[in-house]
Amino acid sequence: MRATGPAIEISSLTKRYGRTVGVERLDITVGTGEVFGFLGPNGAGKTTTLRCLVGLLKPTAGRVRVLGLDPVADHRALAPALGYLPGELRLYPELTGARTLDLLARLSRAPTPRRAELCERLRLSSGDLGRPVAAYSHGTKQKLGLVQALQHDPELVVLDEPTEGLDPLVQETFYELLAEAAAAGRTVLLSSHVLPEVQRSCGRVAIVRKGHLVTVRSVAALREARARRVRLTFSDGRGRRPLPGAERWSPRWEDDRVELLIPPHEVVAALRDLLTLPVTDLTVEEAGLEEAFLDLYRDAPGVRPDVSGQDVRREERP
Amino acid sequence: MNGGSGRGFPLLWLALLRRRRMLVALLLGMVVFETLIVVIVDTVPPTTFFSAGGRRPPAVFRAFSGTSGEVSIASYPGLLGAGLVHPFWIALQLTAVGSLAAAAVAADVESGTIELLMARPLSRTRLLAERTAALLVVSALLNTAATLTVATGVALSPRLREAVPLGGVFAAGLMGWAFALCVTGPALAVSAAGRHRARVVGATIAVGAVGFAVNFVALAWEAAAPLRFVSPFHYYAPADVLAHGAVPWGSFGVLAGVGTLGIALAFALLARRDLAP
Repeated sequence: MRATGPAIEISSLTKRYGRTVGVERLDITVGTGEVFGFLGPNGAGKTTTLRCLVGLLKPTAGRVRVLGLDPVADHRALAPALGYLPGELRLYPELTGARTLDLLARLSRAPTPRRAELCERLRLSSGDLGRPVAAYSHGTKQKLGLVQALQHDPELVVLDEPTEGLDPLVQETFYELLAEAAAAGRTVLLSSHVLPEVQRSCGRVAIVRKGHLVTVRSVAALREARARRVRLTFSDGRGRRPLPGAERWSPRWEDDRVELLIPPHEVVAALRDLLTLPVTDLTVEEAGLEEAFLDLYRDAPGVRPDVSGQDVRREERP
Repeated sequence: MNGGSGRGFPLLWLALLRRRRMLVALLLGMVVFETLIVVIVDTVPPTTFFSAGGRRPPAVFRAFSGTSGEVSIASYPGLLGAGLVHPFWIALQLTAVGSLAAAAVAADVESGTIELLMARPLSRTRLLAERTAALLVVSALLNTAATLTVATGVALSPRLREAVPLGGVFAAGLMGWAFALCVTGPALAVSAAGRHRARVVGATIAVGAVGFAVNFVALAWEAAAPLRFVSPFHYYAPADVLAHGAVPWGSFGVLAGVGTLGIALAFALLARRDLAP
């Protein structure tokens, strides 16, 4: 498989199901060795994109290259280098876990050097593996799904909602596995709506909404560009009051307390003005990725797809 | 599965493993049913079946013994033929074909398991080829069970042996497999294009049941006689084969040809479609 160049190149990808648009004119490039997040709510087009990447769906238009190959035309050459965990993992209920792994490994035509290690680390016991999948809990199925996706040590791992149903301890192990994959130069595409998961694991993130790309940028930049959450408590008991210039910071009042979301470059000047008022308590904290995510998701015509890494922050909050 | 029978053809093995209980039941049902037919035919002379009032069986009864008209149902080949075209025999064949054809593609798409399979370096051609092979193997087993049961009865009964050549029994078995192949083709095509197993099962039953009904009407009503050519039961006539002891290669060609065309269509349809739940 190709060792240089981007691991994933998606250019103007459009996938329609009849009149329904799955994704439209999507452009994403993921570098080799990157852990890349793919965020969006249900129906945003994440799963459609992932299925195009692994060759399950043929694009209506546009170009997709994975490890330098066409996922549909070069499917047999590409697939051994892929590890894929579907969003809704469905397994054959009659087969035991061990037989499921055997079957999928055999179809992958690749050795499975990591199976024993992964089963041990993800706490999938030999007793679990000997039982039919029909008797598995959701979490155990998900563990088996992770093992089948990683057991052949693939170059590119595509994971759709991978921590769904995993208990916190196993989630920790999963994050370790992601970090190890990145350290070993593997590429990981992680689709999720669990924001802390992406925040913790990924270097860059693409956000999609209603089949369109909203932005692609680094998690750090996304967080950096976010507003600071400033909480003030007033001492004079007057309650809600007009604050000069603060309406654009979306003030939320509760008695004598107000919470503002202030763009980072305005924070110092804003505090100078605000601290002229009778303030008894003040906290300033960085808004998390969740705020960034929600902000980008708000339904506003002003938001345009931006893959350049430039800020597409809007000035107003609802 | 390590070192098991699934090493070379894991999808064929999987299809058989998942339906093993149903397949055993179908095989047992076929053996028991054909044994009953042979015992009854050997015990009660055929002429006594329809002799009440001195009447001969109506012509439309040909539909129930599987003959183009040359062989009376009131004969040993006619009665044994009735056991190879009986609604129970048809139901067993259609159950096997419908179930495995649905499992070929549509059931995996409907249940979502297709995602894990097709994310592997597995061509669509191989997926369908292994699933088709599973279906053909099961059809062969089912018809072999029926054939060996009837053949055993014929070999053990002097009266049957005198009236029915053993070669005819094996020829009828081959025609039974060709009939199953004829139904398999369209069923696989529906599965390759579809995403619901119920539609595949429905299409299989429609081909079998409607085919039988059309043949029945064509035999009962002279004005509808040309319709018999569109029914597989016009070409699958076990009573004739049992009486003559030879394979009617023309009819075999029609049944096998329709089946093969359907399978070819299935491959073409599968190559074009999206494969995701």
